[in-house]
Amino acid sequence: MNKRHLVAFAAMLAVSGVLTATNVRAQGSSNAKPDAATAKPEAEAASKRTPAPHDAYVYIGWPNDGEVVRTTHIKVWFGARNIGVAPAGTDKPNTGHHHLLIDVPLPPLDEPIPNDKNHLHFGLGQTETFIDLPPGTHTLQLLMADGDHIPHDPALMSKKITIHVVGGEKPPKVASQ
Amino acid sequence: MQRTGLLLAACVAGFALMGPALADNKPMPDNAREYIIWPADGQVISGGKFWIRMGLSNAGIAPAGIEKQYTGHHHLIIDTDLPPLDDVIPNDKNHLHFGLGQTEARIELPPGRHTLQLLFGDDGHVPHKPPLYSAKITIIVPPSTGSAQ
Repeated sequence: MNKRHLVAFAAMLAVSGVLTATNVRAQGSSNAKPDAATAKPEAEAASKRTPAPHDAYVYIGWPNDGEVVRTTHIKVWFGARNIGVAPAGTDKPNTGHHHLLIDVPLPPLDEPIPNDKNHLHFGLGQTETFIDLPPGTHTLQLLMADGDHIPHDPALMSKKITIHVVGGEKPPKVASQ
Repeated sequence: MQRTGLLLAACVAGFALMGPALADNKPMPDNAREYIIWPADGQVISGGKFWIRMGLSNAGIAPAGIEKQYTGHHHLIIDTDLPPLDDVIPNDKNHLHFGLGQTEARIELPPGRHTLQLLFGDDGHVPHKPPLYSAKITIIVPPSTGSAQ
């Protein structure tokens, strides 16, 4: 009888061990700090576009506007402040994913961003990329969009920058920092 | 006696289940990297208030709770060492979670030397396999002289 009790107790312990292990994980995710960008969605009814926090903005962290780039294989990193990044298809307030517009003006802001060689989608939630551009002058602009690739309201776009690609040279051997 | 054996088996199975549950790191491509874009190692930051910029190569950002292969979110480790890499990253003032999918964050640190290190975690805040973490850098916040910006 005693022995049986002991074993039952051990079994209970084991089960509760499993339970606490899963609890820890669950707690971890619910404890996630929402941090700054938790502005209230305003004017939700006015537009079908997903609201963006009023203080959010996106920018091209590299290259700089007017940069002379000595390679045709160019790293571009995407800056986003006061808004989070989420993969395409994610429906979560105050998040979106980056799109890089190359040599084109902004597309219409109330429909999905086109998906072609002038409109690159970063639907995995990437925050940087490498692009290959022929020598010459090119424009780059970031446009963030929601899980369905539709820009937010207000639309979050970077300044449209111009870069000068000087070709013919091999990409420099730079460590990716 | 047979019952006892069964209970014992259940007990053992329970523990066996528990092990892999904790060590079940999600995969990351071998070329994925996490790094601190800014500040630089050794940077002196007067006032101690700054935006940290978090860099990620060959992987994606997803908010906490969103499960998608090769994605995760940043965690900033301040003034401490890496936590165990097979467990949930602690959530306290030395381990900041960026579960909304942030790639920049405003940080305020008191005067002194501080270490910063990024550690990438999955939807459930567990590091990947291989784990992605940045170099541990040191920044210096000079003593305030009263003329803080």
